[in-house]
Amino acid sequence: MKHMSIPSGADLGALYRQVAGDYPKFFKMDVLSKLGFLLTEMLVADETDRFQPREDRAVLVFSREGCVANDRHYAASMADFPSPALFVYTLPNIVAGEIAIRNKYAGETSAYVLEKYDEEQLWALVREDFQDRCTQSALVAWIDCPSDTVWQADAWLVSREEILK
Amino acid sequence: MTKVFCTGCGVVTPVGDTPEAVFLAVRAGRSALQLYPAQPEPYMASLLSREGFNGPSFFEHIAIEAARKAVAQAGLDPSGPRVGMVLSTIKGNVEQIDSEDVSLAAAATRIAAKLGVTSKPVVVSNACISSLAALIQGMRMLRSGAYDHVIVVGAEVQSRFIVTGFQSLKALSLQACKPFDAARDGLNLGEAAAAMVLRAEMPGQAGHDGVMADTDRPSLWELVDGAVRNDANHISGPSRTGEGSYNALKYLLPLVNREQLAFVNVHGTATRYNDEMEAIALERAGLLDVPVNALKGIFGHTMGAAGILESIVSMQACDAGMVLPTQGFSELGVSRPVWVSAQEMSTHGTEFIKLLSGFGGVNGALLFRKGGAR
Amino acid sequence: MNELINELKLKVIEALNLEGMTPEDIDDNAPLFGDQGLGLDSIDVLELIVLLEKNYGIRLATPQEGKEVFKSMAVMAEYVAANRKK
Repeated sequence: MKHMSIPSGADLGALYRQVAGDYPKFFKMDVLSKLGFLLTEMLVADETDRFQPREDRAVLVFSREGCVANDRHYAASMADFPSPALFVYTLPNIVAGEIAIRNKYAGETSAYVLEKYDEEQLWALVREDFQDRCTQSALVAWIDCPSDTVWQADAWLVSREEILK
Repeated sequence: MTKVFCTGCGVVTPVGDTPEAVFLAVRAGRSALQLYPAQPEPYMASLLSREGFNGPSFFEHIAIEAARKAVAQAGLDPSGPRVGMVLSTIKGNVEQIDSEDVSLAAAATRIAAKLGVTSKPVVVSNACISSLAALIQGMRMLRSGAYDHVIVVGAEVQSRFIVTGFQSLKALSLQACKPFDAARDGLNLGEAAAAMVLRAEMPGQAGHDGVMADTDRPSLWELVDGAVRNDANHISGPSRTGEGSYNALKYLLPLVNREQLAFVNVHGTATRYNDEMEAIALERAGLLDVPVNALKGIFGHTMGAAGILESIVSMQACDAGMVLPTQGFSELGVSRPVWVSAQEMSTHGTEFIKLLSGFGGVNGALLFRKGGAR
Repeated sequence: MNELINELKLKVIEALNLEGMTPEDIDDNAPLFGDQGLGLDSIDVLELIVLLEKNYGIRLATPQEGKEVFKSMAVMAEYVAANRKK
């Protein structure tokens, strides 16, 4: 299965210009969504019919900290004027939604929080998600960012055959 | 495919602490919604009393309480290796963000330990559909063969964090919300915890909890199947075509006995756009001739608990041969002729569909069926 | 008025994270929403409502009101000039 990773602390703006460049909404995203967006760009760049709407690809995002980095930014904004643009990113599943919007994935999108990166537990959940008869492939990501500058960001593109073999 | 049954339910709500009491409250239109003072503006919400509570986390307290009730009703020993746990919540302990580790994972680990669950818990945090997605995950865990029982618990407490956020989105109504009504102008927030014990059917044998003998089946509810679908449209605005909701319904329709379908219990937050989106999805799914009801006028939007709580109340209603009224609704205010249940109606149906939608463009649908039916 | 328009443009670029844009890139009369012009969306409207309150003490009650005020930079500047409290 195909795998991509973004080293902790990398310059995400520079990476965006390198792998995408045509999606200014990127700069409105929280760090979690930026990482998910870029990992997906890197994984699916060479797919044919890439932007054709599809329901057969799931987006499954895992982390320990969820969206806590952005939660802190929103909490800081509460002191004077709570920011709606920050509040909408105070959900760990928004990254999956951003990936779905960009790539027109109308299939399942789910976000999970685990105590730690646990390969056995993570892939058991992914295998379970293929019980949805519609799902033929999945974008699976472990993106854990306790702050805007420190993270683990890994993603895999897996097919039903690879998962259920 | 392995059948999945619900063998225990537990609830903690401002209008009752048992499924029966909550059902009666809904039937009587008794809600706990009230206006709470706050700066810069007040908000209408359905909140739990903290009286007598002095522990570190009220959120974890109510989650444990609801799960214990469900476990007791199911007669389950939660410590076995084949008992799983799924926690559904959106913001968990977020009110303590300045002082504590508010990771949802840490909360789940503590809740599991308090319940005596020894397997690794998982948190499903999929915005406002979290609780339906958690039930679906519980079903999948059972069908994978790795578990015999899964405790699915959803809980949400409100805080300044959530209230100011929804205020900044201009999504809150200052009155009791009016799902699907012409005069609806926003949602109310709510607090609750709700839990189900799910159990995989093992054909030909009663379970060790003794409640799964064939003679018990007709009184139990089956979770037939469910789906999660994305609108792929906008992170906070509902789809103008009801795309994700429709696709989730479409997945279930081949499994539905149409003449047995009692009602669809919709999300019905009472925001302009959500209810309109659901109306379009229901029309596309050919469900305009099925009664529809929404319970947010009683509980407010209980976020991570909503799907489990509203499903438990819907099971009670179906057991009583009843479609519950939609509190707050009087005049249809969506563009499609949805059959919103304004008053209590009787039904012989033995199935219902639960619908939810949320930020991030997610939508979920789950089909419930009375265990002895079909 | 031109000074206010320029000031607003800088604030909008910052508040909405319009990466790489300068005030010169935004036409005074171009629509801010929809497919033409800046292509802002419903969350941007809400963020602009916060911007008005924070910087000029103007409170808009509903996003619908916002849609009127945020038609273009020129309209917005006129509204601010007429209604500002600070």
